[in-house]
Amino acid sequence: MRYFEKMKGHTQSPPRVNKVEIFWSWLGSFLGITVVGLMHFNLLDRSAMIMIIGSFGASAVLVYGAIRSPLAQPRNLIGGHMLSAVIGVAAFQFLGHIPWLAAALAVSIAIAVMHLTKTLHPPGGATALIAVIGGDTVHSLGYLYALIPVGLGAVVMLIIALLVNNLAPNRRYPEFWI
Amino acid sequence: MANHIPGNLLTTDMKTTDNPKQNGVCAMNSTHLPRCSPVDISNDDIMEAMKSMQGYIDITPADFKEIYRITYALSRDRLMNALKAADIMTTPAHGIDIDADLITTATLLAEKGISGAPVTDRKNGVVGVISEKDFLRRMGADQRGSFMQVIAHCLKNKGCVAAPMINRAVRDIMTAPAITATPDIPVGQISALMTEKNINRLPIVDAAGQPVGIVTRSDLVNSYCMLG
Repeated sequence: MRYFEKMKGHTQSPPRVNKVEIFWSWLGSFLGITVVGLMHFNLLDRSAMIMIIGSFGASAVLVYGAIRSPLAQPRNLIGGHMLSAVIGVAAFQFLGHIPWLAAALAVSIAIAVMHLTKTLHPPGGATALIAVIGGDTVHSLGYLYALIPVGLGAVVMLIIALLVNNLAPNRRYPEFWI
Repeated sequence: MANHIPGNLLTTDMKTTDNPKQNGVCAMNSTHLPRCSPVDISNDDIMEAMKSMQGYIDITPADFKEIYRITYALSRDRLMNALKAADIMTTPAHGIDIDADLITTATLLAEKGISGAPVTDRKNGVVGVISEKDFLRRMGADQRGSFMQVIAHCLKNKGCVAAPMINRAVRDIMTAPAITATPDIPVGQISALMTEKNINRLPIVDAAGQPVGIVTRSDLVNSYCMLG
């Protein structure tokens, strides 16, 4: 009975943030994705390189929208993405012929490694998955994927987070670096 | 032989409780002893605090409460163990000889401005405690020893109720065996012990059972300043 009892939940949702906070979350994420997007579409597109991947949208939620969260700190943003990228590429290269297994192992090992290294960053799971299911453009990058787009994109988003989040009088970022 | 409590053996029963009726007050438990419980924080308090902080707090109220409970218990243990009897006791303890007569004893206590003292035997071992309560009990008060009971007794009997104590010695009225402790007993255990045994002073003895100091309720109150 306790097993099913636990499924009912036991507490409430945290309060809604105020409008000022929503504005800064919007501004930060708009600028962060703008810069990464400009680099992708204007600079790298011609060289078959990519700069933007889906998991950056998830990172934007954290580093601009939940900036106090341990999950949103620089260690997690950079470490989580880059470790997961390496794991994702390795999963594809060793098990790419069994896509479902490569995908499952990429994500699950990425989560375990992020836990172990105290770099848990939820978008890292997406980064690992994209390395497997991202198609030829991603696959052709090999381990470079971990540096560009993943590492570089994360660093760009971090720089924007530092610049924008600290403009707000009542915000500060980061909570810690490493 | 003294009823000796080593500083590291006594356990206290002062766990946090979920009972909302005991919020931050000393409630009476089943044994009619006051028991202190920490202020319980409500979900509303937590939600209010989270609202007052800028930004999205990535934690549920229940998680915060759990962290609070555990942290509170750890802090409490640290504070309760931070000070030992040796840090807060009054020294030296004025030991009173077991065969001293009560007139001398009462005069001495009055001169020193203290309400009680450990009683020692010929080998200077603590064998009991004598305090106002012991005198009051002989003057018509019951076990709890209140001065008001003595007043009431006096008024009813129209006379001095201290007279029966002339020619009596300390050994006749003292509380024995003495409850004592070693200098390493933490203040938290002293509070629990005083509450449990309903005593106001705890003689502190060395390994040989000889008095080295005394912790009174006032010393305990003063110790809270040292923690702050």
